[in-house]
Amino acid sequence: MVETAFPKRRSSIVRGLAGKRVLVTGFTGFLGQAVVERLLAEFPDARLVLLVRPQLGSSGRERVDAILSRPAFNALRERHGHEGLRALVDERVEVVEGDVAREEPLALPRDLDVVLHCAATVSFDPPIDEGFQTNLLGAVRLYEAIAASGSRPHLVHVSTAYVAGNRRGVIPEATLDHRVDWRTEAELALQARRDVEAASRKPEMLERFLELARREHGRAGPQTVAEDAEERRKAWVTKRLVRYGRSRAQTLGWPDIYTFTKAMGERAAEELAAEHGLPLSIVRPSIIESALRHPYPGWIEGFKMADPIILAYGRGAIPEFPGIPEGIVDIIPADFVVNAMLAIAATVPEPGRPAYYHVSSGSRNPLQFKDLYRLVREYYQEHPLPIRGRGEVKVPEWSFPGALRVERRLRRAERFVEVADRVVSHLPKSKRMRDLVRRVDGDRGRVEFVRRYADLYGVYTEAEVIYTDDRTHALWRSLTEGDRKRFPFDASDIDWRRYLVEVHCPAVTAGVRALSAARAEPKVRIREREQLVLALFDMEGTILPSNVVESYVWARMADLPWDRWPAELLELFARIPSYLLADRRDRGEFLRTFFRRYEGATVEGIDRLVDEVVSEFMLQKLSAAAVRRVREHRQAGHRTILITAAAEPFVRPIAPLFDEVVAAKLEVRDGVYTGYLAEPPLVGEARGAWLRRYAEREGADLKASYAYADSHSDLALLRAVGNPVAVSPDAALLRVARRRRWPIEDWGMSGGMPRVRFPRPARR
Amino acid sequence: MARPGFVLEVDERTPPLLVHEGEGFRLERFPLGTRVIYPPDPLPRIRDVRGAIRHALANPHGSEPLADLLKPGMRLTIAIDDISLPLPPMQAPDIRQLVLEEVIELAARKGVEDLKLTMANSLHRRMTADEIKHAVGERVFRSFYPHDLKNHDAEDRENLLFVGTTEKGEEVEINKRAATSDLIVYVNINLVPMDGGHKSVPVGLASYRSVRHHHNVHTMLHSRSYMDPREGRSAIHDSCRRMGKVLEDAGIRIFTIETTLNNETFPEPFGFMNRREWEWSAKEQATYLAAKKLNDLTPPAVRHQVWMRMRSPVGVTGINAGATDPVHERTLSKIHEQQLVHVEGQSDVLVFGIPYVGPYNVNSIMNPILVHCLGLGYLFNMYRNKPLVRPGGVVIMFHPVPWEFHQVHHPSYIDFFEEVLAETTDPATIESKFEERYATDPWYIHLYRTSYAYHGVHPFYMWYWGAHALDYLGDVIVVGGNRRACERMGYRAATTFKDALEMASETVGRSPSITYFHMPPYLIADVS
Repeated sequence: MVETAFPKRRSSIVRGLAGKRVLVTGFTGFLGQAVVERLLAEFPDARLVLLVRPQLGSSGRERVDAILSRPAFNALRERHGHEGLRALVDERVEVVEGDVAREEPLALPRDLDVVLHCAATVSFDPPIDEGFQTNLLGAVRLYEAIAASGSRPHLVHVSTAYVAGNRRGVIPEATLDHRVDWRTEAELALQARRDVEAASRKPEMLERFLELARREHGRAGPQTVAEDAEERRKAWVTKRLVRYGRSRAQTLGWPDIYTFTKAMGERAAEELAAEHGLPLSIVRPSIIESALRHPYPGWIEGFKMADPIILAYGRGAIPEFPGIPEGIVDIIPADFVVNAMLAIAATVPEPGRPAYYHVSSGSRNPLQFKDLYRLVREYYQEHPLPIRGRGEVKVPEWSFPGALRVERRLRRAERFVEVADRVVSHLPKSKRMRDLVRRVDGDRGRVEFVRRYADLYGVYTEAEVIYTDDRTHALWRSLTEGDRKRFPFDASDIDWRRYLVEVHCPAVTAGVRALSAARAEPKVRIREREQLVLALFDMEGTILPSNVVESYVWARMADLPWDRWPAELLELFARIPSYLLADRRDRGEFLRTFFRRYEGATVEGIDRLVDEVVSEFMLQKLSAAAVRRVREHRQAGHRTILITAAAEPFVRPIAPLFDEVVAAKLEVRDGVYTGYLAEPPLVGEARGAWLRRYAEREGADLKASYAYADSHSDLALLRAVGNPVAVSPDAALLRVARRRRWPIEDWGMSGGMPRVRFPRPARR
Repeated sequence: MARPGFVLEVDERTPPLLVHEGEGFRLERFPLGTRVIYPPDPLPRIRDVRGAIRHALANPHGSEPLADLLKPGMRLTIAIDDISLPLPPMQAPDIRQLVLEEVIELAARKGVEDLKLTMANSLHRRMTADEIKHAVGERVFRSFYPHDLKNHDAEDRENLLFVGTTEKGEEVEINKRAATSDLIVYVNINLVPMDGGHKSVPVGLASYRSVRHHHNVHTMLHSRSYMDPREGRSAIHDSCRRMGKVLEDAGIRIFTIETTLNNETFPEPFGFMNRREWEWSAKEQATYLAAKKLNDLTPPAVRHQVWMRMRSPVGVTGINAGATDPVHERTLSKIHEQQLVHVEGQSDVLVFGIPYVGPYNVNSIMNPILVHCLGLGYLFNMYRNKPLVRPGGVVIMFHPVPWEFHQVHHPSYIDFFEEVLAETTDPATIESKFEERYATDPWYIHLYRTSYAYHGVHPFYMWYWGAHALDYLGDVIVVGGNRRACERMGYRAATTFKDALEMASETVGRSPSITYFHMPPYLIADVS
């Protein structure tokens, strides 16, 4: 390497950037914030331009202000005060609105001296087109806009050490050796989106999505099915594009689309810089983690690459991980990267001869995977994560059995979870089922997590590769004594034990610790309001722990004397499968079928039957918690509504509990039931539509209203209100409720009441 | 002559003693020196009960014979004690049936046509048809149910009559049909001294408006004990007496028929429970072992059914009729003859077992609040003069206190337990903060009137019954109690009797004096 020697500097890099105009992209991101913070704090004579994308109704400037209140600027805020900091920004910073990911002209100042391009996607497996958009096309657009504006600045292009791809051994700080044409790849990547979108719309595909959606949501109604089918289509497209990306990257020698597109970005930067005669420095940091010193020790935003694994390990969720124990995990603290970038920005290379810098630790101060594991384990043994109400996590011990064994274990776990999932999803509704679903979901989450990270990070933990940083080190050595103190980035300076145990792990787990203390299960809060608030209660399964079929069969039996039981039972049993089937398919259909049995019954007779026998049955099964909740709502002045598909006369015993009862109306002719419904029954999605109309008519505030239901088929009802509650939910609703953080309650019967009660036959 | 009750002092030869614990029982060894109080043996039963009834009706106290009070064209209402008496329900024929048959026959002979029967259930739950049939007998049931034989409805505004107020401002409001009748005949069963007398009509046929004047915390704290209804001892009975006076002044004529029973409480094969342990025959010992084993092994639901089907073989010991006061005086003396045991002085610890049934869980579930009521309400108060335990002493009860409720019978109890007790156990706070809301709640009223639910306010009374004991005791420990349920009521749960004594030592020291109140069969301790 010829260029590894830099002349010893006489002046500091601060002076090097004095009076310079510096454009920073990705200010809202992790590195961007840190860079800007340092520029504001240490480079009083540098003027800044921030390229910020306006978002969701907030302008670029508003976003900048929001970021200024983040922890990265704590020290600055303390020094200047919040207003003082804003004044400082007003004075030294120009905010330019624009989005490099979009094909829009960027209006950039014409007198830029340095460009720090930090914007990048953080995801490792984005869909192929998104990867290209941000990592490649973003840079292309930016550099073209700069060239078009007439500035001739020094481009500092932030890439990653892993652009080297699947190569082993020692990687030099030089241009990448490949012949892939980024323009073709980019064009085809964008094309892939169109192809996949088109493929997903083929009838065979759409029918499959519909079929799957119907199988899961059939009872909820056609609209829910349609929504779900579309969700499935979108998910399929994304998954497919991710696969496009991964496989394309791998056929060209990169582990994933992230490194692949970053490599393409470098090449594009090289070409454009050469074309327009711009000086170019390419910075390739390895795995960036929390800051060692600046803005404060342990500063981190969100989770970086190693953190999800560190956290999951701390939760005891990763029993074993693939990876070579001696493999080098190349971690570098964020402030080292920032300092190196600033030094690089002040060191302008000749146009046409780009400078490459690895900001990494692997060659000078290697951290082996087993040491990382040991130190993290040491941290957790001293400071275990709490489990709510159950003490602390004991972290597992890894034996590094090799990727193959881990893979086999993982596959076994995946198969187990799949089978378990199928089993629990078909269990009847019960508290036990819900506990099992929770457990299986938890297990699945863990298995999927390990799978994802094992696939993604396999290369990062297995690669026996060293990124040389001779050039970066030479740059370091060329700095003045003062700069070395102020802007340290010498990797051999890192004490891994101190960094991991005292700085990084506490920083990563702090959020989780705070969260687990504060994050309680979602709870129902009943509030009084000015406007009319509704509280809707589903009946079957929610306030009565039985389904319609059971209660109807019961009522039917109670209506008959003993000697007619065998005949009726025989007939009923013969029909129960078809009833249950009808109920599974469509509750309305079941009700229509069942109500036929009441053809010819007198209104008076049914009322008497209900008052004398059904009433006791219902009250005995009525959930006490439900009654309490209804009454709480009434007390708060809410209008309580019972909403049920059961026939009106059968609801009589509990009707007084509610302000209003919405039930199926049976057709009556001359005091005798015809066996037909007077109106279609209100089930599934019809409830949502009915509710919206009702609320409009009555002037009720649905946002403040409540709905209680147990079944996935009531989703439409639940989603129509602001406070949905899943009561003793079935597996499908349980999952929806957990995902959306709806309160989940268990309303059972009071202890000591018989679960099964036989009706007493009618007296004659 | 039946043997009187007596006090045994536990020594080396004393066998383990029978202790009731809900739907179960056990033999427990007591520390040496423990005083055990046994009830007197059963009084001899009247052989010719019908004859005795006719004699009582013809020779009343302080009244003309019933036959002379019955006239054609008159309005006659017969009020009858409800499901809460006797305990356990008695084997057929129920004494109420026998009395009713005599009274109704007499009325028919005298040409009375306007006759209605009312179960005097006050704020208790309505009785089911089967329960009424058991109490009044098949004949009466068939002739009068459902139109002329009904449950009293304390929330039927149409059918209540405000009669007046006592000199202390207590409102008297009772069943209108009864109040406007020419004669009320009250058919009573007097199990314990608390029952009967002026507690019959002014309470049994009253509404909440009227009942709240004596069923409240203040009255409870001033009834020491309400098992001792002598004037000035029990505020609740004083109040009832004043109300009875108001009825009398309003010209409402009451002919009271009070009956007393002996304490032959448990039927065979559970007869051993009626007897003293060291006198158990070989057969009884074997029965105990078998019954205990069987009971422990049976699934709870089946066990519950078995206990609930138990019908008591009690014998009738007395029938008195006529004016309320002279009749009740005789009734009380008969009860005392059967139940009173003289005991010298108080002890530091009082121990008793809670049996499976109390007045409010016949054919139902004994929920934690009913355990409280039966234990600290009724059993603790089974004394005259002063409690068996010293002020600040400890009560140790035996009961599993399961977190169970009957949803049809006790809906307001569930909410009371979940909502009220979760906030406070202080009776006065509970009364001022929650009572009215529960008492006037339309849903509870609906259930009370149309289903078989106790009135919404009833769990409050159950809690108030124990107010005096809560105020008086240093600690309450329940052996075998559900920890959560006990904690909610301010009790402490112990796994074994030894643990309970250990826990009690924090309050009463290492060597406390202990009294074991051996019941049921029930007894009243006359503590000097």
